[in-house]
Parts: sequence; structure tokens; C-alpha cells
Amino acid sequence: MDINTLLSDAKARFSHNSAKHYLKEKYSSKLILADQGGLWKADKETISLLNALTGDKVVLMDTFENPVEVNRQELLSKLTTIYDDTMKEWYKEAQELEGKR
Amino acid sequence: MTRGAILFAFNSPKYDYYVMAEHTAKRINHFLNLPVTIVTDESSLASSTGYNFDKVVTATPDKNNVRDWGIWINKGRYQAYEFSPYDETLLLDVDYMVNSNRLLKCFELYDDFCCHDRTAYYMYPGAEQEVLSTHSFNTLWATAVAFKKTHRTKQIFDMLKMVQNNFEHYANIHHFIANTFRNDYALTLALRIVNGHTTPLQDIIPWNLLHIGKNTNVYKNNDSEFNTEFTIVYDNWQRGKIRKEYITIKDSDFHLMNKDIYVELIKHG
Repeated sequence: MDINTLLSDAKARFSHNSAKHYLKEKYSSKLILADQGGLWKADKETISLLNALTGDKVVLMDTFENPVEVNRQELLSKLTTIYDDTMKEWYKEAQELEGKR
Repeated sequence: MTRGAILFAFNSPKYDYYVMAEHTAKRINHFLNLPVTIVTDESSLASSTGYNFDKVVTATPDKNNVRDWGIWINKGRYQAYEFSPYDETLLLDVDYMVNSNRLLKCFELYDDFCCHDRTAYYMYPGAEQEVLSTHSFNTLWATAVAFKKTHRTKQIFDMLKMVQNNFEHYANIHHFIANTFRNDYALTLALRIVNGHTTPLQDIIPWNLLHIGKNTNVYKNNDSEFNTEFTIVYDNWQRGKIRKEYITIKDSDFHLMNKDIYVELIKHG
């Protein structure tokens, strides 16, 4: 029996709440980067902070809660790329799931 | 620096863990591009379907552990350090469905050891974390562990052996039931002891271990060997009736708590 027939026969409903949860679990892990001796999350706070700071070298707390000196532009560039790529993938899959009933 | 994965598979009267391990190994080869070593026994080897592991280590299984469904041969996991031929090793349960290269990130982010400390269930958003007991620690998970061979990780695996050998004593201290040996509980205690009774963030994989839990079934969306798209169907009990709910997932790893589902999934390749 193919999966669509099975779902139809069982009158199964698509769970948007669980799908949202699954997407968050899947894509949150893709935002993590190990770089320059620290572990980083490509989130809006870290990217904003790197944008707001000045100077080539800055010290940030990484996700292990250790202060790490980093090359600001280099880390900013990597995190921005990861954030952008991951959010686009997340959005695309969310749109695909949004259409399900 | 060599890297690889290690699986433990001892067949029980109910489940053919060796065949599960072959399936998991193929997925590890495909998605993580890592060789796989298996730790097994002669009788389990007999169920081989012909997959060639990188290395086969035979060991004597400790069959002195039971669950509600029968004999559960899960002891001896501490031997992963000794049996792994790799400098860096991924130790996985055989019922972990690899669907992506996500686990490779562990090798980039750890010092020399990491495991999960949090879980999430696909169909129960916000489920509570498991604890050893009400007044004890959150459980760490031995389902997926990455380690490098160092003096410290040898201590962790030695400590795991010590906790296994004295499981009843630790169960008394931490108020959990000792009838069934759990690697998760032993790891929780061993890692804390080695780290001076703390669990440093550096030893934790920074994303959740995803489980397929109770009342949940999984179906492949197609029969290709390395299919990564699945439909997860959940029986949501409401006022004495089942309301079936589902989601579809792709390229996302998961751990199956119900071995029967895993057996069903691997039937067709």
C-alpha cells in the first residue's frame, strides 16, 4: 500500500504543530559552526553583535560559554553565509509542508 | 588521523541486531563516508547477509539483562574504546537511522568526547527530559557518542565499566530501578565522575537526539536503498478515540525506540 492511500484510509491529519517542531530541530543544528577555537550559532544575536562591534579582533562568548578571540570579519562572513543558506532551506521546506492537509 | 564508526550487535531471541547493524552500516558508509567496525558474537555472525564490515570483532555477550520484551544484550559498551581501530570513533546504536551527514559535525566541535544530553520526540513537541530519578540528574544518551582516543576518554570508558559492574549500588544512591541495565544511565554517572561530578558543555552534542516514541509509526516514502523521506504517523488518543496525525520528514536522523518499526523499515533494502 502506498503512503498516500494509507494516510487517506486512516483519515490521518497533517500535524502542523509537529511539523514546525521538526523543522526547528532539523535546521537549528545546521546553524552551528566550530571555528577559530570556539563553537558558534549563526543566530541573529551573534551576527548583530559581530556587525555592531568594530576592530579586526574581538572577544566573544561562544556557546560553551568560553571567551574566544576571533577575527571579526571572518566569523561574520561565515555565520552570515550559514544563516542565509539555512534559513532559505528552512523556508522552502516549511512552504512545502504548509500546503499539506 | 583515522575515523570510523563502531556498532555493537548481539542477536537476541526476539531481534536480529546483526542485520539491523548491516543496514545501519550501509547508511553510515553512504551518508558519513566512514568505515564501520562491528562488535558481535559467532552466533550473530551467522545471520550475515554478506555486507563487509571494515573490521569484525567477536566478543562474548553478557546476556544477563532483561527488558519487558525479553533478553536485552546491551552490556559491554565500555569496550568501544578498546575495540575501535580508529583514532576518532562514532559509537552508534544499531537502531539509529542515519539520513544525513549531521553527525560528522561532532568531530569538528568536540574536545575528545561528546554525547547528547537532550532529546526531542517527533510527535510530542515539548516532551519532558528523562531523569535518572526525581532527585537525580538529567539522563545523558549513549545512543550516539563520538570520541577520540585520549587518556581522558579511556577514563570515561573505564568508569563506564565500573558503573556497569556496580549498577545496583548506583541505583540505590540515585533511586532508580536497577533491574534493567541502561547504558544511558551508566554513561550519565560515568561522565560526571570523570569530570569531577559536573557535566561540562564541551562534552555535549549541541542539538537534540530525535526519537520516534510510543504510539508512533514510521513509513518509508519510497523503497530506494538510501531513502531519506519518511512519513511519521502518530496515534493521538483523545476522549477514548484515536485521531491519527502525521508529518513528513526528510534528511533528518532519528532513533527508533521501537525495534519492530526498524525491522519493518529495513525489510526492503
